[in-house]
Amino acid sequence: MARADRPRDPRPRFEAIYDQHVLAIHRFVYARVGNRPDAEDLTGQVFMRAVEQLDVDRPAPQISAWLYRVAQNAVADYWRAFYRLPQVDVNKVAGSWEPVTPQASRHADAEAVRAETAVRGLLKQLPKQYARVLELRFLHRLSVAETAARLGISKGNAKVLQYRALRKAALMVETDG
Amino acid sequence: MADDRNEALDRFIDTLLEGGRPAPDGVVGDEAPMARLAAELAAASDPTRGVPDPAFVEQLRLRMRDADAGISSVQEWAPPAGTSFRRIRLTRRDLLRVGLGAAGGLAAGASMSSILRAAGPAPLQTNGRPLGVRDGEWVAVATLDELPEGAAVRFTTIAFGGFIVNDAGTIRALSSVCTHMGCTLYYRSEWQDLRCPCHNASFNLAGELANGRASWSEETGYAGDIRAYPIDLPPLVRPDIKVVGQDVLVWTAKV
Repeated sequence: MARADRPRDPRPRFEAIYDQHVLAIHRFVYARVGNRPDAEDLTGQVFMRAVEQLDVDRPAPQISAWLYRVAQNAVADYWRAFYRLPQVDVNKVAGSWEPVTPQASRHADAEAVRAETAVRGLLKQLPKQYARVLELRFLHRLSVAETAARLGISKGNAKVLQYRALRKAALMVETDG
Repeated sequence: MADDRNEALDRFIDTLLEGGRPAPDGVVGDEAPMARLAAELAAASDPTRGVPDPAFVEQLRLRMRDADAGISSVQEWAPPAGTSFRRIRLTRRDLLRVGLGAAGGLAAGASMSSILRAAGPAPLQTNGRPLGVRDGEWVAVATLDELPEGAAVRFTTIAFGGFIVNDAGTIRALSSVCTHMGCTLYYRSEWQDLRCPCHNASFNLAGELANGRASWSEETGYAGDIRAYPIDLPPLVRPDIKVVGQDVLVWTAKV
């Protein structure tokens, strides 16, 4: 049968799409899960799904939108499954060909800058000690002990401060929508 | 004043900031949004801004090609009549090439050998999970003299790849597909396990997860791992085998 003899080369069109998007999709996911093992899993899910379902003959903007939408859903599922959070994003339409959302289409670098700006803005709104502990712990990645030393408080108090700062900040993020 | 629930969140944050995969255990209720915010803060401070590891990018590319070839082989595969089996011993490099070229690439670097066919009924897959191999046959993939205790021999058939192992005297076949995300496992003789290159899951020669939370402890660890594998993975698929004389045969799809 002639079909069986068809060489199974990697589909060039699909590979091009992969090369074009893998960096941005990984960044998009990483910005939302904060660790590489999970970011790699989710990025893998997005592209493995693309192998099965993505119509590579669609115009480029639609392909990009599809990938971001699947990525967005993967992230939402991740948090929902792990932490039983309510779904915040209501327009969850898996794999549909809806027009690209402005947020999703933004370039990956812009995405990172946006995240950084958002973090800075968030810290500014917090009480000083709260902002400081989050800055030392998360932005400078100091240990609890180092953070405590910088703040001149005990390790135990640094943990409590971190806890309260996160709670306050999480509340602010939620009410901001 | 510190309520007892924040220990789980502390652990979550510590793992996150070390770059590990944080376990969700014990992070509940109000702390879930805090965990998510912590993850976003950690990501925002990453100096590489989430640029993926090049090794990961290449690995995923190979996995996609495999999957793509798998899909088209299921849908379209119809071998020309008279094709004979080739017995194949593959190196890691060969495996990569197979990943690139799919079924057609198997011939590269392969050595010919006779196929042993054995009559008999068609026992299907073990583990209660049928491989979908109905019209199958027994194919010789290894010989007993290659399999002293603790050894593993890699094989590939037209339908799947795996290892024939000697687990303390018991010969069995184990699929080489990790039950997490489908990465290809490799054999480590010093640990006598099948290890996943993607997320370091280890399976023992019975096919069970060896470094999961149930079996891993701080004191004993597992094979030098600094933490337990965080997900309870199902055991590897165990294709049916039988031993005829010196030959180990595996049940696989028919050409």
